[in-house]
Amino acid sequence: MKRFIYNIAIAAGVLLGASSCEGFLDKVPTDSVVAESAMVTMDDAKVAANGLYTELMYYSMYGTHIPYLGDVRADNIYPKDMGGTANTIYLLDFSPTQTNYFSMWQGFYNIIMRANTFIANINTLETSSTEEAALRDDLMGQAYAVRSLCYFDLARLYGYPYLKDNGASLGAVVLTSVVSPSEARLPRNTVAETYAQAESDVAEALKYLSRAKNNGHFNYWAAKMLQGKIALYKGNYQLAYDANVEVVENSPYRLVPNDEYLAYWSRVCDDESVMEFLVTADGDIDSDGGFYTIYHNLWFEASNAGKSLLPTKKWRELFKDTPNDVRAEMIKYHDPETGVIPGQEFYWLKKFVGNEGGTTFRQNNPRLFRITDAYLMAAEAACHLGKQSVADNYLNAVRKRADVTAQDVTATVDLVLTERHKEFIGEGHRFFDVMRTGGTIVRDQSIDERDYAGATRQVIDWNDHRIVLPISATEQTIYPELQQNPGY
Amino acid sequence: MKRLFLLALAILTTGVMFAQTKVTGKVTSAEDGSPVSFASIVVKGTTNMATSGDNGEFVLNNVANDATVVVSSIGFKTIEVPVNGKAYLEIILSPDTEALEEVMVVAYGTVKKGSYSGSATVVKDDALKDAPVMSFESVLSGKAPGVQVAASSGQPGAQADISIRGFGSFNAGNAPLYVIDGVPATSGDWSSGNISTTAMSFLNPSDIESITILKDAAAASLYGSRASNGVILITTKKGQRGKVTSTFKASVGVSYFAYDNYPLASDAETEELHRQAWYHYGQNNPNAWKSYNTLEDYVAAKVEQNYPSRDESKYIYKDWEDVLFRKGISQNYEYNISGGGEKGRIYASVAYSDQQGLTSIENLQRVSTTINGEATLNKFIKLGGNLQYSWTFQEGHQEDHSKDDPYTIWKVYLNERWPYAYKETGDLYMERWNPTVSTVNPVPTYDMQINDARQNRLLLKGWMEVKFTEWLTAKTTISSDWLYVHDRFGWLYGHPNFTAYGEPGGYMSDRHRNVNRMVSTTQLNFDKTWGDHHLSAMAGWEAEEEKYRMTRAGKTSFSYAGATESIFGTEYDSSYSWSREEGLLSVLGSLSYDFGARYYLTGTYRRDGSSRLAPETRWGDFWSVSGSWRFSNEKFMDFDWLNDGKLRGSYGTSGTLPTDYFGYMSVYDYGVYGNEGASYPSNLANSDLTWEKNKNWNVAIDATIFDRYTLSVEYFEKKTTDLLLDAKIPSTTGFTSTLSNVGAMKNRGWELALNVDILKKNDWDLSVGVNWSKIDNEILSLSEEGETQTSRPYIWKQGYAFYQYYSRDYLGYDENGMPQYADGSFFKKGATLTEDVILKDGTKLAKGEKAPHDLYNYTPRNRNNSNSVILEGKTALPDGYGGFNVDLRWKDLSFTMAWSYKYGHYIWDDGTDDLYTDGYREFHRNIGKSQVDAWSETNKDAAFPKRIAGNNQGGYYDSDRFLHRGDYLRLKNATISYTIPRTFVNKLSLSNARVYVAGANLLTFSKLHIDPEIQNSGFYSLGMPSMRTVTFGLEVSF
Repeated sequence: MKRFIYNIAIAAGVLLGASSCEGFLDKVPTDSVVAESAMVTMDDAKVAANGLYTELMYYSMYGTHIPYLGDVRADNIYPKDMGGTANTIYLLDFSPTQTNYFSMWQGFYNIIMRANTFIANINTLETSSTEEAALRDDLMGQAYAVRSLCYFDLARLYGYPYLKDNGASLGAVVLTSVVSPSEARLPRNTVAETYAQAESDVAEALKYLSRAKNNGHFNYWAAKMLQGKIALYKGNYQLAYDANVEVVENSPYRLVPNDEYLAYWSRVCDDESVMEFLVTADGDIDSDGGFYTIYHNLWFEASNAGKSLLPTKKWRELFKDTPNDVRAEMIKYHDPETGVIPGQEFYWLKKFVGNEGGTTFRQNNPRLFRITDAYLMAAEAACHLGKQSVADNYLNAVRKRADVTAQDVTATVDLVLTERHKEFIGEGHRFFDVMRTGGTIVRDQSIDERDYAGATRQVIDWNDHRIVLPISATEQTIYPELQQNPGY
Repeated sequence: MKRLFLLALAILTTGVMFAQTKVTGKVTSAEDGSPVSFASIVVKGTTNMATSGDNGEFVLNNVANDATVVVSSIGFKTIEVPVNGKAYLEIILSPDTEALEEVMVVAYGTVKKGSYSGSATVVKDDALKDAPVMSFESVLSGKAPGVQVAASSGQPGAQADISIRGFGSFNAGNAPLYVIDGVPATSGDWSSGNISTTAMSFLNPSDIESITILKDAAAASLYGSRASNGVILITTKKGQRGKVTSTFKASVGVSYFAYDNYPLASDAETEELHRQAWYHYGQNNPNAWKSYNTLEDYVAAKVEQNYPSRDESKYIYKDWEDVLFRKGISQNYEYNISGGGEKGRIYASVAYSDQQGLTSIENLQRVSTTINGEATLNKFIKLGGNLQYSWTFQEGHQEDHSKDDPYTIWKVYLNERWPYAYKETGDLYMERWNPTVSTVNPVPTYDMQINDARQNRLLLKGWMEVKFTEWLTAKTTISSDWLYVHDRFGWLYGHPNFTAYGEPGGYMSDRHRNVNRMVSTTQLNFDKTWGDHHLSAMAGWEAEEEKYRMTRAGKTSFSYAGATESIFGTEYDSSYSWSREEGLLSVLGSLSYDFGARYYLTGTYRRDGSSRLAPETRWGDFWSVSGSWRFSNEKFMDFDWLNDGKLRGSYGTSGTLPTDYFGYMSVYDYGVYGNEGASYPSNLANSDLTWEKNKNWNVAIDATIFDRYTLSVEYFEKKTTDLLLDAKIPSTTGFTSTLSNVGAMKNRGWELALNVDILKKNDWDLSVGVNWSKIDNEILSLSEEGETQTSRPYIWKQGYAFYQYYSRDYLGYDENGMPQYADGSFFKKGATLTEDVILKDGTKLAKGEKAPHDLYNYTPRNRNNSNSVILEGKTALPDGYGGFNVDLRWKDLSFTMAWSYKYGHYIWDDGTDDLYTDGYREFHRNIGKSQVDAWSETNKDAAFPKRIAGNNQGGYYDSDRFLHRGDYLRLKNATISYTIPRTFVNKLSLSNARVYVAGANLLTFSKLHIDPEIQNSGFYSLGMPSMRTVTFGLEVSF
């Protein structure tokens, strides 16, 4: 009240021609922080660095859409019913007028903006001790690694596989600083240029990142795997080999043993995980409480589970001859509660069982990098480089971890890809693995009668325009410089 | 004021008297028999006069036996009474509303109606007093030209949707500013949105003296940065000088649905429609029935599975309408007291109202009290104060396709084959009927759900007026408007939404919001007349501060059945608090000059500074000029038939502030990652952000002719520039939009009002009023040339109206009964056609040609290959709307009716995807009646396409099949009132007594399949439709 009267007195001053009354009108928000004061200490910087990951694990990104585009778009998982949530992706029925799958483009640029803001600000912060200097280096490395991941993902989602045309197709718009709306109207760079940015960012990140485990955050090893993965996609097998071998041989991570494999999926940041996103509340992945997630839609053991996604017959039959494979144990036959109606019995995938200590089965940490991936990437690169014994060792290590009765095989690229097919269901790899190697995905109802998209036989390879996502038509109207992908 | 002045005059001129005969008498009012004080009684042709006292009595000395006395009083018709030698005169005055130059409440003051050159409509308390409503807004429907009023829901206490002269804003809303007794008030819905509430429901309509709706710049621009959507001035009742009267009023009413919403197919028809859907599905998918012997067997199995036959051995079946809904009972009791003398006056009231909705969980209760008083301290200083306090308690349920909306569940799922709410054991049926349907029995949810809002509101105002001289006064007002809203939402332990999933659950959250608005206004008023010249001026300043605080606490997973408080929860749900402040500083002034009661000129100015804008842009100037020519007062226009005539015009500016309190700043939002904090930039700074600016002009002619016709014709144009829009920006910035001032929009329209006093005789009074308005709205520009913004089902595009519909264009069905839609590919003028094109009119263009104009390809396609088009001519804007009213009085009986109508607009029925799906959804659903006429091999000339189970081509998907003409005519309010004869009433020592019957939404004429009174956007999503209410009331005065 006192202040109010005081303010009125000031206001009276206005009438009399005095000029200063701005105090009354200078209000600041209490539920957010004015940008200038949001990152002034190293503690602030740590909090801002965490802000690099929250969007990445959102359902429109790694939380669901990347797995959808990697598994449902391929031949690992399909919607149980027509009209399911993942329908558009399963049918590759993308259109520039649909905005929902363009949200990934928007999401990655949001994270790139965060990383660019962070990199610009972190350099202005003073450090008062060597610990603080080390922390500053590590945080800066994280920002570069996150940006590298964003450009790599933009290239593989919106551009054709690098090896199809050596990166000549359109990729992302490469930006390394914060831009205003008027500066942001830039045409797309090529896939090769986008890869180059991702490569240089990850190389920069490796200079600064700590090698210590840092759950939920990029460290040296996670960035190294990213470097190896980019190299593998690009056909730079030597670098793919070196990077992944370094992780396998020198990092503090380990293959989870066979008898812990199923339990691993409920563990938070087990040593198998080189990098996973931290989901601590049902609403972290989608604000609706996880009901949009792939985890909800794959789940079947609760009456309020999504029950809308199934592993394909093709994937299930990968284990036809290896009944002892622990991954086959993830396939569960389940009668619907209403009793068996002909044609309605289902085989489900019980892989993502929910974080230990989490509230529901919807709460799963999306895995970005597992050490298994480093083994298999190293094996694949080794095959290309003719390092047969290394390739055999790494591939057989993964095979025997899954099936203790497995016999050793001689590694080939195809065998490595088959192993990846078995291993990474629901983790968003399959489609990209097939496309980057110039393979094909075949769907046919004669192979699987549940495959309703296969009513007419579908063969999807890297010449199909639908394997890259369209640029939003709306985005093009505000920003015509942004080129559409061919075929849309 | 005026009475006081007359009194003074009367006292001064009572001078010399001639002694002949002494005459005494009493002056009373014909209206209610109450004594009329301060009436002047003059012996005709002399200066001999007297003034009636508080009891209406007077004494006149020296009156000749054959003299005539002239009796006059403000507000009454002057009459002449011959003395005829009588010593006692009983004089009855009848009220006169015409002779008195009506005074109306306007921005920062009052004016005589005749001298006002702005555009404003006044709604008097007569229109409000008996209407069976708890809040005044709905009564305005059809009453004021240019004002569209619609309810957002039929639940008691729901927010009204009012738009004054069209739609002036994209982002900042179209709600008017509310001003109560001169002070800008908090309005809108401050609850959490689980039920619609309005902060205005605190006001008891009986406490309202009048409502003035300010429409043009001349009327509203003194409210500056908040005036663009018009202003609603509410004036509460003041004490009347004279005898203290007290009035008690009681009414009881009953409500039910006003309209037959969504007629449904009968049970047999529904089964047949399901059968058709599965038959057609089986025809298309032979694989599906491989394991059955025949297609017919498969269809029979599917129909049984999806629309199961009744199983009387297991369930009790009843009429769901009966189970879910009730007749809502409303009650209202109020008591008020009014009185005053020379030194002061007071009005006080208390009231209790309770209105039930149509389900047992809809309910609105209110306790309200008002005290308005003023006192004259001395000849310089007057003081006054208002206190209004009310408590409202509102319960309701969620709406709009929500599974907590019993209305949606009833219309969409529940039918004769859905088992009754109780099992034969008598237990509530709690399980989900089928695991594939998330709907649960709504009946048990009634007791296990908490969804309510309580609002406490206290308005306090104090003012002081200093009269320096007859022509210069100053007035200062300080007010506090405190609104405390506490709403609760919870599903209790055992709620079917949990038990259906096999867990008892429990969820409860409490939200507390405090809004404190302090306003201080100081005005200096000048008013002086020199001969034919009259000059008045006002200068003032105002400071306003709003403080808002919100606290939320919630927990889930209860551990005790019957727990209603979150303390029983075992897990925390989001709990937090935050606050916000806003400041507004203003200086304002006005200047009016008139000459000879013929020429009027007024200018107003306001300068506002707002905390919602950056320091560089926060100050804005708003002004208006207006003038009028009262030609009926010209000598050369002195015709008998012309009672009053005025030409007026105005031009001026006003503004709208961004809704975002800190939209100009770049800020970081804070969240959580892992168990640590996470922050990130969440808004792009825009220090150029400023108000939306309005430029308005208005011309009008008002006339009263032949003593009976009052006519007003008005034309206006309102151009809004710097529209606030979440302008899309390249997502490479990291953001997809930023709040910016881009775009322009124009509203223009005609308003007509005609009132005819058809009959005015001793026992009879009959008058009829009609009004009609038309508004055209056009978007002049958006942020980018050719830019469109779509928000289902609308599009914003240059050259189109604000509520232009945008969806697939349904072209009927093909020879197989499959729906066809326009392709919808858009080509800009001059663009090379990338496909063969058929235009809407059938013209064919070949691929490779240049588009002769902007065009859509209308080639028929199936649903997957069709896109939305601008549905030319289909908007939510009516071609015309308004109302008419009839007031009839015969002796002590009066009858009033108020109708409202609207035509030419389209409404979007969002329930189409539930009820007219051509088979998309089958499980146990009801089907809209009209779907019965669906295509089949034997009915190829049907209204609807072929039904197919899971149909991904048909009515489930958006198209203009969701659109319907919304024309309607509705009897909004009607009242029959009988005033019990005074001779009888007086025996009971009452001064007045009246009984009445009043109704709301009594009759509706419309071709629509849903209640036609829908929010102004035209969007209807299965919410509770309006209620028809009839009340019986009694009013007695002492």
